[in-house]
Amino acid sequence: MALEKSVKPPRSLGERLQGFDRRWIFLAMGLAIVIPLLAPLNLPFKPSPMVKALYDTIDSLKEGDVAYLSVDLDPASTPELEPFFRAVVLHLKRKNVKIAIGSTWYAAPPLIERWIRDAVEPQQAFAGQDGYEGKPDRPYEKNVDYTWLGFREGKEAVINRLGSDLRGNYSGRAADGTPLDRIPFMKGKNRLGDFDLVILVSAGSPGAKEFVQQVQTRYNIPMVASVTSVMTTDLTPYYQAKQLLGLAGGMLASAEYEQLVGKPGLGAKAADVLSVGHLVVILAILFGNIIFFTTRPGGARWLRRRFRGGRRR
Amino acid sequence: MVKKQLPLLLGSIAGILVVADLFVPQGWLAATSDRLFEWGQILAAAALVLGGINLMQVNYPKIRRREEDWPYKVVLLVSAAAMFLVGIPWHEIGGARSPGEVVVERGGAAGQAMLRIEAARPDAVVKIDGGAVPIDGKMIGRASRDGHPLEIALAPGKHKVQVAMTASGYGVLDAEFDVAAGQVAVAHAALPMDWGKEGRVRTWAYDHVFSPCNATMFALLAFFIASAAFRAFRARNTEAALLLGAAIIVLLGRAPIGTLINRNLPDITNWIIDWPNNAGRRAIIMGAALGAIVTGLRVLLGMERQHVGGE
Repeated sequence: MALEKSVKPPRSLGERLQGFDRRWIFLAMGLAIVIPLLAPLNLPFKPSPMVKALYDTIDSLKEGDVAYLSVDLDPASTPELEPFFRAVVLHLKRKNVKIAIGSTWYAAPPLIERWIRDAVEPQQAFAGQDGYEGKPDRPYEKNVDYTWLGFREGKEAVINRLGSDLRGNYSGRAADGTPLDRIPFMKGKNRLGDFDLVILVSAGSPGAKEFVQQVQTRYNIPMVASVTSVMTTDLTPYYQAKQLLGLAGGMLASAEYEQLVGKPGLGAKAADVLSVGHLVVILAILFGNIIFFTTRPGGARWLRRRFRGGRRR
Repeated sequence: MVKKQLPLLLGSIAGILVVADLFVPQGWLAATSDRLFEWGQILAAAALVLGGINLMQVNYPKIRRREEDWPYKVVLLVSAAAMFLVGIPWHEIGGARSPGEVVVERGGAAGQAMLRIEAARPDAVVKIDGGAVPIDGKMIGRASRDGHPLEIALAPGKHKVQVAMTASGYGVLDAEFDVAAGQVAVAHAALPMDWGKEGRVRTWAYDHVFSPCNATMFALLAFFIASAAFRAFRARNTEAALLLGAAIIVLLGRAPIGTLINRNLPDITNWIIDWPNNAGRRAIIMGAALGAIVTGLRVLLGMERQHVGGE
């Protein structure tokens, strides 16, 4: 009896694979994120047509134009969207475009205020800095070159109202209480349609999709958007329909935009992580399928027939 | 009648006015629609108060009865109360404290104008004339040097000094002054800690509690996706195999490594996103829009009553 208990039949390869501990996949994914950050691969990439269109749209702005920048995100999406924010602000500052910043997300203001202190107010790019060959930008002064309008609760109702009465929506004042009438570049800017371009940095709802649905079509407002990867497929129909004049989806698109602006930063560093991370997911898919085919009844035989060109019965 | 029919009637009238504004170019209609959206925003803000009361009504009885997971509910209520309290601008009660001032005194080396920084917090940073006057060769310098207040020689004339903490949530001394040769401008920077929505405590809680927790939840997706890819993404039939193939191409094409494997992969990826994906998305968008129109009509006509507690 004791002998019967101690002797177990040997497990087949398939059975052993089925018992594969998925924590190994977690470990692989962890390493795939950490190693490229510590040892960058610097793999080359080229801008996609959607990102190029976004860049060209912003590049067509003239000195003195005014852009409305809606930053609708939370800390979870900063790795994907912060690089774009910094790059687009540099691009706008180089062209001396005035910026009005607003948000429809309650969790966004502390982040935006920090990014304003880090990227909008001080000079970001100096001539000859870290191989930077572009035109230097200049420090932006609050309520002279840019204004921070703040956050308003109400989601799509707020977006709708921005289209018809932006001043009413913000009670006629910037977030620091300065009346909008006293900000020279806000003269005549009563609704979104009065701005030369609306730039959306969105991590979900309400965001780029709601801006297109609520105000773009109705008032024919020129709009571009930077969104998270998972939102990209939701928004590509709007890009094809020219409702969005440019679209940057996810971390790689942010890196592509940085490349176009000529100042690789956080996005370029993260692009390597994306490469290795995606490889881990693909390997996980392939490994899972190998287990599936080798362990299902007649799976090995089915595989052999498939690869030798045999017919299924 | 009042509890159910009146909200339905009000909802219908408001809805019809807003919809009509989209099709009828009449000034009074646009003004009414704008006013309704304004009311909507006010109601959304007021709902926050109701939400707070509801939070208490739901959680407090469960804590009192020591129901399952009651300690978490204590954490929830205490956190909510703490954030509410630190969100009040206490420092403005009784008048906001001054962040400091610049006083010009006689003294200093003959023929030279000086600036001395006396900051209440030694780790404060200083910027003179927006960074035009370098401090130890940099645009921004520390307020104290080797434990002593920073002293720096200036050209006689008008200058601007900014003294601030690197962490947000403190008052900032931002002052202009006129200093002549043989004078010292002393910048007394009090840099008081602020409360309220831009205050130190709330900012700290956002940076060190909310932000990491929020980012962690999203970052975990990478691990869940890898695990789900391993366990669930199987080529069980031809359709699933097609989906799997497309997914692998897009995964490779949307990362720099795709170009390394085959330089056409990004173009193939763009084609998949532009054509098959967009066709599918459009179908979904159109379907959802038709569904939204039907639901909207049902609400406007009073046939949909779930939102007023009906069947």
